[in-house]
Order: sequence, then C-alpha cells, then structure tokens
Amino acid sequence: MTVATRFKSGRTGTGDAYVSDHSGSPHARFMRLTSYALAPLGALSAWWILGLAGKSFDGVRAEIGRPIPALVLLAFGVVGMIHARKGMDDIIEDYVQDQTLKAWAFLANLWASRAIAALWTFAILLIAAPK
Amino acid sequence: MADADTDRLAARRPLSPHLTIFKPILTMMMSIAHRITGAGLYVGMALLTLFLLGAAIGGGAFSAVSWIASGFIGNLIVLMIVWAIFHHLLGGVRHAFWDRGLYMDPQGRELLAQGTLVGGILLTLLFYICKTLAS
Ligand code: HEM
Ligand code: HEM
Repeated sequence: MTVATRFKSGRTGTGDAYVSDHSGSPHARFMRLTSYALAPLGALSAWWILGLAGKSFDGVRAEIGRPIPALVLLAFGVVGMIHARKGMDDIIEDYVQDQTLKAWAFLANLWASRAIAALWTFAILLIAAPK
Repeated sequence: MADADTDRLAARRPLSPHLTIFKPILTMMMSIAHRITGAGLYVGMALLTLFLLGAAIGGGAFSAVSWIASGFIGNLIVLMIVWAIFHHLLGGVRHAFWDRGLYMDPQGRELLAQGTLVGGILLTLLFYICKTLAS
C-alpha cells in the first residue's frame, strides 16, 4: 500500500505522488507464508471439492462429513480467505484509480472475505460436527 | 508549468503495460493467469460457501444451491475451481523457486512457466480420473 503526500510529481501532478509506507515486503512475505500452508491444504481440498460434483444431499454430507475432510476444508477456507483478502487488496490497489472507490473496495473486500470464511466454517461445522 | 498543463500532459502519457503492443510471452501469460485464478478462486470460494450452506441447512436450501455442483454448469464450476487451485498452487511453487533465485535463466523460467500451465491441467485430469475410478 502507498500513501498520498503533497509531493509534486511531474507524472501525476500535485498531491498525487506516492511514497512507500514500507508495507510491501511484509505483504509479500505474508503471501508466501500462507501459501506454504495452502499448498498441501489446497491439493487435499481439491480432492474433496471434486467429490462434491453431481452428489445428492446425502452424498455431499457423506463426502465432507468425516473429520479429516472437514478439518482440512475448514483450514483451507479460513487460511485461504485471509490470503485471498490480501491478494485482492493488491488487485484493487493496481486497478481501482479513484481514491474514494478504492477505499470502499478495500472495505468491501475485508468484509466479503470475512463473511466467506465465517459462513464456510459455519456450514462445515453444521455438516460435520458430532451430534 | 501550470498544474492544469501538467495534469493534461500526464493524462495523455501512455500507461504501461501496453496490452496491444507487447508480444504475449508465456511467463507473462502465466503471471497474468496467477492473478486471474486468484480472483477466480475468490468467486469460487463464495459459490462453494453458498453450496455448503445449502448442504448444511438441507431441504429447500439445498435444492436452491445444488446447481453450483451438479448438472453441466455445476460440474463445470467444480472442475474450474479444481483447475484454478492447481494452476494457482503451481504458480505459488514457481514463485517459491524464483524467490530463492532458482530457474531464473531463459530456459529455467520458460520451463517453470510451461510446468505451471501443463501441470495444472494434468493434475486436474489426474484427480478427475482417480475420483471417477474411486466412486
Ligand atoms: C492452493 C494454494 C495456494 C497457493 C500455493 C497460493 C500462492 C500464492 C502466492 C505465492 C501469491 C503471491 C503472488 C505474487 O506475489 O505475485 C498468491 C496471490 C494470490 N492468491 Fe493465492 N495461493 C493459494 C490459494 C489461494 C486461494 C484459495 C485463493 C482465493 C480464495 C487465492 C487468492 C489469491 C489472490 C487473490 C492473490 C493475488 C493475486 C495477484 O496479486 O496477482 N490463493 N497466491
Ligand atoms: C498484456 C500486458 C500485461 C498485462 C495484462 C500484465 C499484467 C500483470 C499482472 C496481473 C501482474 C501482477 C501479477 C503478479 O505479480 O504475479 C503483473 C506484474 C508485473 N508485470 Fe505485467 N502485464 C503485462 C505486461 C508486462 C510487460 C510487457 C512487462 C515488462 C516489460 C511487465 C512487467 C511486470 C512487472 C515487473 C510486474 C511485477 C510488479 C510488482 O511486483 O508489483 N508486464 N503484470
């Protein structure tokens, strides 16, 4: 992420120049560290996600209702959405030029990623938690 | 120069990358594909969340979301998600090599780019075949 200063740039005019807030390297390191967890979780999750295709209601619940698939999918969803939120922040940073819209996009991303992670967890718990 | 002039000139200056000018090369395409699959997985996870919620609640809720994973569209969605996971995962592995300064020469980086593309498709096919045989 970058911050606006009053520095005058020949490229974009007054007040629109950017200086680093030094969040770049921590961001990149965060993506790398989460990806170490996501690689094994992703490969395993792909197997059970593929198993959802064409299944009946009972079939779906049998596929992911067991402890191992449920726990792996749960971890994949939560770590994945934390990673995805940071990744989507990059994309917004790159493509959304309007500052107001950008601020809203960051906020929408934050809450969308949290909602997905929370509802994902909730759904898997409802399916797989011991009765 | 007046601010207005600066702004006007700045607006006319071309932005990089120039989509229509650069020759598409494989490493560049795979970089772009990493971003597309990342954003695609975001949407995919949202769809799967709806599907899982339906499966958690049952009854009408399940019928309302079952299209996400069954029928032609549903099978396509699931297959696209699985491919996106593998493609993006291998993209991450490629980054891990490059982060360590490995495979950065012309042949090496081309190999990693090809590996990402072919590997993503092969792993998807392999999983699909094994899953079909297993069920
Ligand atoms: C399967 C295991 C995964 C691995 C190994 C992985 C790895 C990575 C890495 C290393 C990056 C940083 C790329 C860079 O610095 O240019 C990245 C970016 C990203 N990832 Fe993942 N990821 C995985 C899963 C996911 C999932 C499940 C999602 C979505 C729910 C996701 C969404 C994103 C997004 C949106 C970006 C930003 C893309 C960009 O800036 O171009 N990733 N991933
Ligand atoms: C069709 C034209 C192009 C498109 C759509 C495009 C798209 C992208 C995307 C989506 C990313 C982020 C993905 C990632 O970090 O892995 C990226 C990063 C990058 N691209 Fe391109 N690219 C294009 C052409 C080029 C060309 C021709 C060059 C250099 C001559 C270039 C240099 C870079 C660099 C240095 C980065 C890394 C930037 C960073 O880490 O912040 N791109 N590009």
